[in-house]
Amino acid sequence: MDDKVGLRARDFWTSLILIALSVTFLWQTSLLPFYDAKAAGVNSAQWFNSAAIVPFGIFGLLLLLAISLLTISIRDGGATRALRSIGINDRVELRRIALLSLILIAYIVGLVPRVDFVLASGLTLTALTYGFHSGRTVPMALSAAFACLPAVFAVAAHPFPDEWAKPHDDDAITLAAWIGLTVSMFAIESRRGAIDRVIKATPLVALMAPLILVIGMAFGFRQNVPNRTGLVFAQIEYHYYVTLRPLWSGD
Amino acid sequence: MEFVLDQLIAFASSLYTLASDPLTYLYLVASVFLGIVFGALPGLTATLAVTILTGFFGNKFPLEQSLIALIGAYVGAIYGGSYPSILLNIPGTAASAATAMDGHPLAKEGRGGEALGITTTASFIGTLFGAFCLLIFVWLLLLVAKNIASPEKALLALFGILLSGTLMSQDLVIKGWIAGLIGLAMAMVGMDPILSEARYTFGWSYLLSGFQIVPVLMGAFAIPQILDGMRAAVGGAAPLPVGRIVPRLREVMRHFPGILRSGGIGTGIGALPGVGEDVAGWVSYGVAKSVARDSSRFGLGSLRGLISAETANNAAIGGALIPLLVLGIPGSPPAAALLGALKINNVIPGPTIDPALIVHIVAILVMASLTMFLMGLFTARVFILILKLPRTVFLPVVLVLTTIGSFSVGGGINDLFLMLGVGFAAYAMTAMKYPIAPLVIGVILGGLFDETFRRSLLISDGDLSIFITRPGAAILVALNVALILSQIPAARRLVAACLPKSPAIGKD
Repeated sequence: MDDKVGLRARDFWTSLILIALSVTFLWQTSLLPFYDAKAAGVNSAQWFNSAAIVPFGIFGLLLLLAISLLTISIRDGGATRALRSIGINDRVELRRIALLSLILIAYIVGLVPRVDFVLASGLTLTALTYGFHSGRTVPMALSAAFACLPAVFAVAAHPFPDEWAKPHDDDAITLAAWIGLTVSMFAIESRRGAIDRVIKATPLVALMAPLILVIGMAFGFRQNVPNRTGLVFAQIEYHYYVTLRPLWSGD
Repeated sequence: MEFVLDQLIAFASSLYTLASDPLTYLYLVASVFLGIVFGALPGLTATLAVTILTGFFGNKFPLEQSLIALIGAYVGAIYGGSYPSILLNIPGTAASAATAMDGHPLAKEGRGGEALGITTTASFIGTLFGAFCLLIFVWLLLLVAKNIASPEKALLALFGILLSGTLMSQDLVIKGWIAGLIGLAMAMVGMDPILSEARYTFGWSYLLSGFQIVPVLMGAFAIPQILDGMRAAVGGAAPLPVGRIVPRLREVMRHFPGILRSGGIGTGIGALPGVGEDVAGWVSYGVAKSVARDSSRFGLGSLRGLISAETANNAAIGGALIPLLVLGIPGSPPAAALLGALKINNVIPGPTIDPALIVHIVAILVMASLTMFLMGLFTARVFILILKLPRTVFLPVVLVLTTIGSFSVGGGINDLFLMLGVGFAAYAMTAMKYPIAPLVIGVILGGLFDETFRRSLLISDGDLSIFITRPGAAILVALNVALILSQIPAARRLVAACLPKSPAIGKD
């Protein structure tokens, strides 16, 4: 019962957010031409053909459903709870999600666009496996710090897309963070006693998984891969075309 | 009858072409294996398996080869979910949730091998049943579909989103509808399909082409699983021991009528737009329990219960492909991922689809189910070993897989940002018990709904009666209205009051 009230408390806040979003997007939709839409410069469109008609319906319905949700949450006691707290009381869970989210943001926003894919993924794999395998706070915080530092550096040093490909200083810092995290992981775990099998296997998985993936994607599936000029991938690509390929193409 | 024979001949020819190409076996074995692994690892889903492979194959491979891999993974993943359901009491995928009801009690009785063997056989026959229905009924529906115009298409798309929202909701039904509307709203971003008017782009050129399907799918299905699944995993899971896996023919034959009934239910439920294999499994389980002479064993280790759920969820694969190929409306979330793959290969499903492609897909389904059957019987112990992998090892690898897959399809970093944004939003929605499948179906069908709805009004010069004067459209309007009213308590009470009351049983 208490869990349901907690859920309704979250529904209370969600419905308010949905109402705000619906109203905002209804206003945005009102900026689209409705009665005087032009197709290829000719004023041939009618209200029923307007680009705004379907969005008006969608956001109008969303507003109605959000109001219904608000009514249900108030009726079921969610509003009373919501005004005292946001309905989330598990601090350990919040900390876990916050640190995980930080690592994901560091990886996708900071590292992948700027840093060599093998290095960025190796660091992230190590951080996620070591950080969250035991459920202890110290590995989680340490992993998040090691994953975020090179990402913050990469974003600060090379904020714009035209700077993402060339310099390798962020690659070097990511590699250093990866090595640092791996060494710290073994140092901390060995001090605690016998090292878990998963921890022992982590460096191998962290190296091999992105390496196999990136090679398979680039040369097997012939797909685009992130940051082709990265420290490791540039070497792989060079040796693939210059050293290996002539062996079977007979050039 | 002549029509069925023609179909079977075309299918046999396609099957022969497929079977005589050595590449087929390479793709099939690899993709079915990957699919079973994805199904067996709790937290990974069939939709994710198909989406990740879509990212890998993109449009750089011949479509026929990509389809072998995608359908192989789809079939494998729906079946693979039964392993943790039976041996750990943790459904590997939502589709195998009903399997755990009787599978795990059987494993606890020391009959885990028997349960796995009968599950493998039921899944195999179920997939074949669905494939056969796809082969036969898709043509009948294609004939009907030629008379389906914009009004019917718009209403069908709406029905798919509403039905998915209604059936997938775990909490309030309006949460499913809200999820569907959010998906529809996301589909409105970009250039509109009729007047090329830019909508909600906020001056960002990336948004002009709208949200790409693959990053949205990856974000919606992978990121929430990663955020939710990364919990302490000391020791990993310990599956129950299994004995002989290969089932006895006599046992299979004894349950054959039940397998056929469940196959029919699974295919029918799968063919409903937006409703997935999980609903098929539960409905079939419920029907099997209600028709059983002695239903007391259901939930305690009944082979009938196990067979009904597993046959239906695999039969739903063929069913889900029927509306996908005939109307371009996916029957389930993995079918939605398959639609994404077809679209990036410039194949537009619908009445004008190449008939040879449909027969080819049926042949792939048959080959994939055979591969799954053989792998399930003879390499099951490999998959049981995989169950011991802790989530903290495989989920980070999934993150890397989805990142590179999402990047490769569009070739841009913005797709990764989109994936992350959708992922966080989907996680928040999952935590508040909003279903994700209607959102994805909404994103996929939003463009179709927008275009066909406005085209209908264009044809009728703004007259809304076009949605009730055409017989097909009128039926669909009635279905949509009935579906909405059935979820409104006041409307239900009104209907109940209008209906004649049945006489009380047991009273004089």
